[in-house]
Amino acid sequence: MGSFIIRRSFTGILIIFVAIFLNFMLIQLAPGDPISILSGQDSPSPEMEEALREKYGLNDSVGVQFLTYLRTLAGGDLGESILSGRPVSEMIGERIGPTLMLTLTTAILALLIGTLLGIYCARRPGSKLDNLLSGLSYLFDSMPSFWLGMMFILLFASWLGIFPTSGMVDLRANHSGIAYYIDVLHHMFLPATTLTLLSIPYFFRITRSSVIQVMSEDFVTTLRATGMSEGRIFNKYVLKNSILPTITVFGITIAYMITGVAIIEIVFSWPGMGSFMLNAISRRDYPLLMGIYLVLSISVAVTMIVVDVLYAFIDPRIRYSK
Amino acid sequence: MSILEIENLTVTFHTKDKITRAVHNISLSVEEQDSIGIVGESGSGKSTLAMAILQLLPKRIARIEGEVILDGKHLFQCTDEQIRKIRWRDLAVVFQKSMNALSPVHKIGTQMSDIYRIHESKISKKKLKEKIISLLEMVNLPSRVYDLYPHELSGGMMQRVSIALSLMHNPKLLILDEATTALDVVTQGQILSEIKELEKELNLTRIMITHDMSVVASACKKVAVMYAGNILEFGYVKDVLVNPLHPYTQGLLKSIPTFKGEKKNIRGIAGALPDLSVPVQGCIFASRCEFATDICYQVKPTEELLSGNHRVACHLVGGMEHANVNHS
Ligand SMILES: Nc1ncnc2c1ncn2[C@@H]1O[C@H](COP(=O)(O)OP(=O)(O)OP(=O)(O)O)[C@@H](O)[C@H]1O
Ligand code: SF4
Ligand SMILES: [Mg+2]
Repeated sequence: MGSFIIRRSFTGILIIFVAIFLNFMLIQLAPGDPISILSGQDSPSPEMEEALREKYGLNDSVGVQFLTYLRTLAGGDLGESILSGRPVSEMIGERIGPTLMLTLTTAILALLIGTLLGIYCARRPGSKLDNLLSGLSYLFDSMPSFWLGMMFILLFASWLGIFPTSGMVDLRANHSGIAYYIDVLHHMFLPATTLTLLSIPYFFRITRSSVIQVMSEDFVTTLRATGMSEGRIFNKYVLKNSILPTITVFGITIAYMITGVAIIEIVFSWPGMGSFMLNAISRRDYPLLMGIYLVLSISVAVTMIVVDVLYAFIDPRIRYSK
Repeated sequence: MSILEIENLTVTFHTKDKITRAVHNISLSVEEQDSIGIVGESGSGKSTLAMAILQLLPKRIARIEGEVILDGKHLFQCTDEQIRKIRWRDLAVVFQKSMNALSPVHKIGTQMSDIYRIHESKISKKKLKEKIISLLEMVNLPSRVYDLYPHELSGGMMQRVSIALSLMHNPKLLILDEATTALDVVTQGQILSEIKELEKELNLTRIMITHDMSVVASACKKVAVMYAGNILEFGYVKDVLVNPLHPYTQGLLKSIPTFKGEKKNIRGIAGALPDLSVPVQGCIFASRCEFATDICYQVKPTEELLSGNHRVACHLVGGMEHANVNHS
């Protein structure tokens, strides 16, 4: 087990390096020039442009730029935003909290609800509830996230007025203590519900089909033949076997959410990385973009490692194979 | 004394578009310490018969008629709770695909202990482990198997685990469904002789399902020949294999190649199993029988009881004189 974790972490680190390199190359290849934005709209002087290029090292060869990037990265320095001049790490630090809070809450809620519903329906395949939930899962699957988010805003915020339309806290109220947290929860309700509803179908379907498949496996027949009770067969043997695909989906969903939460954040003006990232893209703020991408790739890589280790912990067949 | 009594057992599968009669009106009596081989080609209903005895057929689609009496208990009238108590203590089974017979994510020892404790909950942890290891040793497995997972064992080892598992409570009746089919000839031979050894020690009664006549010849006292859900011939192995009376049994025996046998003797039985969802009026084998006459298509032959408890269901046997079967 120990060697598996080490091996898996090693590949994880390798993947992060590849991600750093790809990010760097992508941005090098992307069209657009930050200098022309920096130096302003109206006829910048060539001297000023040249000075800026020199300052940000944009005159160096690509290889030298990459090495410089790696070296400063190793020191925890993600560089400075071209536009605001502030350290990128500081800017990301302010924004990553709300995003993590929203993503993790949603992922865990969707995991719990989807898995439980999946198990419930798998034990009653073909029942009314099973048919209803299967239908709903396809419906939510085909819904664009921004559309559902806007419908929620229309219904619950604009018409009924029971939830705020945007933001994470009510700035005018200036809450403190418990009231502050309640205010955050109140603001988070709509975006979290939107994301959760859209993620439940993955967990629901994978758990349902996995439980149904495991129930038809030969070892279940063996256990029945021995006189073991259905309850024990299910709780001890079927569950552990069918939870494996759910873990994989959890990893993929988190990775997907970390990168896909942006749209929901923009719809609900959630002060996370989403709108921040779009801004950085449209203004070609290279250091900031690279910083954001780096944090995203590391989050995804770490999630995948955790998921793989968890998987290996449950399934011995993974542990011993290379 | 008979330990298992099967009376007029019929099993039909009701699926979406058709009704398949997989077992048709079978009666069979198994004496204590018998070893009965059930042979027949694939799809003839052997596993269905076993699963009906074990009460493991899917309730939603399988209809069962008739009686199965195990050690005086009418199984079809038992409650679920009573069946659970009978399982593994009175009636154990080894399935065909042993590789998948246990959960892949639990250790062998854990699973065997768990199963042992279903019927013997008061045993201490230490005693239980000793018991499981002694069971593994009984089937010639090293004790380290206790801490292994199913995928770490070879097919032959898993087969032995399944056998050890089935014998843990000294069942009155053991059913082996193609238990050695997937193994190579050497391992198969070893396991068969081990089973025969254990049988003497444990006073086992055994039903052995196979499509391999040589397994029956080497490991069974009696044999039932099954075809399309019917038992066509039944008797002592020494009678049935030496003097097969049913044309189907004769065909089965001819399809086994012998080392010395000339090539012309090796031939299968032309044709295929009839469609089990279409009722047959006369003899079930008529469509493939080279001796079939008009009466065979119209009247179902009754079972003739010959000397030595040899039973045959064929119009040629009994009333009418049997044609010379040893035509070469
Ligand atoms: N669960 C089921 N649903 C519908 N039909 C079934 C089911 N199980 C078996 N049957 C049918 O019953 C018939 C007998 O099958 P069975 O598995 O008993 O044959 P078998 O003699 O054990 O064959 P094999 O040697 O291949 O194991 C087949 O026609 C099969 O299609
Ligand atoms: S009854 Fe007729 S068809 Fe059936 S096996 Fe005998 S001879 Fe063949
Ligand atoms: Mg079978």
